[in-house]
Amino acid sequence: MGDLAAQQAALVAALTGGAPIPDGFDPRLVGVARKALLRKRAGDVARHWPRLAFALGDRWVPEFAAWAAGRPTNGSLRDGWDFARSLGAPATDELAAREAAWVYDGVHPPRPRRLPALRRTAESVIVQVAGRTYRRAR
Amino acid sequence: MTFYGVGIGWRPEIAGFVAGLPGLRFVEVVAESMPHAGPPPPALAALLDRGVTVVPHGVRLSLGGAEPVDGHRLEHFAAAAEILDAPLVSEHIAFVRAGGVEAGHLLPLPRSREAVDAVVANVRRVRAAVSVPIALEPIAAIFDWPDDELSEADFITEILERSDALLLLDVANVYANARNRGTDPVELLDRLPLERIAYCHVAGGDENDGIYHDTHTAATPQPVLDLIGELVTRTRPPALMLERDGDYPPAAELAAELSSIAAAAGYPDPARG
Repeated sequence: MGDLAAQQAALVAALTGGAPIPDGFDPRLVGVARKALLRKRAGDVARHWPRLAFALGDRWVPEFAAWAAGRPTNGSLRDGWDFARSLGAPATDELAAREAAWVYDGVHPPRPRRLPALRRTAESVIVQVAGRTYRRAR
Repeated sequence: MTFYGVGIGWRPEIAGFVAGLPGLRFVEVVAESMPHAGPPPPALAALLDRGVTVVPHGVRLSLGGAEPVDGHRLEHFAAAAEILDAPLVSEHIAFVRAGGVEAGHLLPLPRSREAVDAVVANVRRVRAAVSVPIALEPIAAIFDWPDDELSEADFITEILERSDALLLLDVANVYANARNRGTDPVELLDRLPLERIAYCHVAGGDENDGIYHDTHTAATPQPVLDLIGELVTRTRPPALMLERDGDYPPAAELAAELSSIAAAAGYPDPARG
């Protein structure tokens, strides 16, 4: 690994994984960039998980950012999925619909569920058959 | 070079608005959002049918990464240019991942010879895979690397010359960097190879933590419009393109913003026929 590769890896680790800021950088500005990255990530994840973001309202950005700090991204879909699982209640319906349609072990990318699935939440009954998801209010 | 005038970044959220712009001749689409093969998405196909030029804009090739650009990403980028029959493609002078970790955004490079070599090597790989010219965009940086060997203008110029690339000049990035570093944006304009401009980006941002962030989620501020005025006294960019990536305003406001950009440049208004 050349110098540039190692320096870039150290910088990305500092920005996304909470590693120390490499020597010579302005710690205040790198801190500002770290926060900006988390805000941008929250916005990207909200596009994949609109009902979850809506349910949290003004708390969406700070709560997602607090969860995501120190966790490098696995892509917006999976980031939102992992965050939703960590939250429980506010995510219920959107998460249940995704869980009915996909198999996701939290480690590998989600893949479509081959068998029909049924999920019940406080608000809805969600049925997935042959890749199509149906939701009915309870 | 063909003159296109004022364009806009095509995004699914504003597809209807973009389709309704009577004088539109130029849009950009995020290359990574394109299908891998087959016809373009219907909304873009409709624009192409009426003669609008659609340019794929890559955001995740990581041309400034120390490692060679990823083969699958490059294949997809080249396919996007083919599908859109694009006269050029564009990407950034930046890196977005390192050590197997995604940063989630465009990060600045050290202004060093080693970084110039890395970008030039990757741009050559892109040029070998893509049959049309590439324009490179210098980014807005929240922080700089320590121990620069080159000035910003020399860094950009050397990369463009050695890789025989065009310049995608983001006027809002020039403004943001100058404002955050306390330098003069017009002075930078005068040192850049403006004759290489393929097209320009324009956008608005927000101030947070004492830093101006080029977020593309606010209206283009007056100082950026003023900088367009400075730019067009020096060169006439083939296209000026508004980037908007969230907090979309009502259609009338977005149309008025395009009109202001056209007025600042003395270009035809894309919101009129």
